[in-house]
Amino acid sequence: MNPLWINIFHKKLEEESIAYFLGSVSIFADLDKRSRIQLESLMHLRTYSAGEVIFEAGDPGSGMYIIRSGTVQIYNRSVKNREIILAQLGLKEFFGETTLAAPSKRTASARASEPTVLIGLFRADINELAKRNPSVAYKIILSLSRVVSERLHVSDQLMNDLRLKHPDLFSTESST
Amino acid sequence: MSEPFPTIRRPADRTQMILLFIVLTAGLAAGLAIYSSATSFITFIRTASSALFLPILLSLVLTFLLEPVVSFFERTTGKRTGSIFIVYILCAMLLYLLMQFIIPQWQSAWNSLQADLPRYIKGMTNYIRDLGLKIEAQTPFIDSADLVERGRSLGKDIVNTVIVGTPQSALRLGGLFLMVPLFTFFFLRDGSRILRSCISLAPNRTFEMVHDLSYLITKQLSHFIRGRIIEATIIGIVIFIGLSFTDIRYTGFLAVFAGVTNLIPYIGPLIGMIPGILVALVDLGIGGQFWWIVIVYFLIAQVIIDNFILIPILISRYSNLHPLWVIIAIILGGNAYGILGMVIGVPIVSTLKIIFIEIRQYRRTFSLSERLPESES
Repeated sequence: MNPLWINIFHKKLEEESIAYFLGSVSIFADLDKRSRIQLESLMHLRTYSAGEVIFEAGDPGSGMYIIRSGTVQIYNRSVKNREIILAQLGLKEFFGETTLAAPSKRTASARASEPTVLIGLFRADINELAKRNPSVAYKIILSLSRVVSERLHVSDQLMNDLRLKHPDLFSTESST
Repeated sequence: MSEPFPTIRRPADRTQMILLFIVLTAGLAAGLAIYSSATSFITFIRTASSALFLPILLSLVLTFLLEPVVSFFERTTGKRTGSIFIVYILCAMLLYLLMQFIIPQWQSAWNSLQADLPRYIKGMTNYIRDLGLKIEAQTPFIDSADLVERGRSLGKDIVNTVIVGTPQSALRLGGLFLMVPLFTFFFLRDGSRILRSCISLAPNRTFEMVHDLSYLITKQLSHFIRGRIIEATIIGIVIFIGLSFTDIRYTGFLAVFAGVTNLIPYIGPLIGMIPGILVALVDLGIGGQFWWIVIVYFLIAQVIIDNFILIPILISRYSNLHPLWVIIAIILGGNAYGILGMVIGVPIVSTLKIIFIEIRQYRRTFSLSERLPESES
């Protein structure tokens, strides 16, 4: 067949759609197909080149990113401006979700380590969704709060472990 | 030692002269062509924009007004396009009922108004003449400003505009009735998609901020536009009810005029009460009814309802403009688009103010949180 005709009659495969991809991301796994299609219409696809900064610590944050392809480095800078890598995230992982609920500054920086495609979901989109389809927005917010509370538990656990191992680090806190 | 080559300045030969002439002529011609095409392009853009400006603006206002209703139906049906159709059908039914009720009454009122208008203008001219004579009698040292002639020519202009302009406005209105619902449909259905496509053009580093700001600005704008329209409608209704207690004619027209002019702060209400007071003066004379009409326009509609109730509830304080800006907006709008420009100039400047304030607030929010840890430590 002529390639021109192939292009005209080529239908986007379901597997290629963002809605299908979202089904495999833990935070959106509970949503049905229709809700995911609705969510797809609100999401933003952004392409980053290798080494491109996604956001820096201190930037105004308004939402989360899901990695569609590529890898992302989450890092911070020490007092001596030395880079400290906090995490290396890959396919289907997400970051920046803490700023989704309330406007706050980014606490760490993010950078694409290779050519990367991200899907952005922002507070404005959630508000828009809540207006049009509150039940879907409710499910997403519930999933998000579950993930955030899980991460909070983990960091609490780590903090407690640290407190037990190095009590001197927290001595000022106990004295006050 | 080698002798330097002598520099010989030869006069330009004939070929070079012809070449220079051709290049200069071509350059001049190209420049002229670019200039003329540029001006015609600008003219084209101006004509196209002036033809599309009003329908797009009205569609945007209508979109902001209908958006909550469409969202309400979308919540139950789950379908955007279907919800827009439901809202359109409801609006069409409402319009049909209104037309059945209002059009026959308004048609006869409009016809009699066209016949009565010269009488009102004459009444106004007489009033101005009396006023002029009084002023002249009291201040003989001031030269006569020929108020009578000015009043008469102004009246003649108004009558001409109304009589000549009516078929033209009817034609334009016909076009608007076709274009505005169509544009509104697409703005309601694809508005967020259009906005998203525009935002997606922003570079990766600024994209998030642009997206957040656009949301905040749109929210404030829809709040402001909805507030202004509801305010104008309520003022129109209050004036309609207030005038209905008197024997004044054309209550409907006067109420609509007062409602529309109420969109312009400070000056609008004053312009809005002129026709009512003029009709009252000519038809009813100065008496109890006349003073009641003045009270309805000024005290009840403006001071009590608008300033004490509607503005604090519907319009956010910061979207209010300084009177100087209002005057500048009216002059600029009037120069660009005539009377229509005078009406829409102020809301457009208010819109710009909202955008400016939202951006400043956004910046302040984040720079404020930056300073917090320092102040805590």
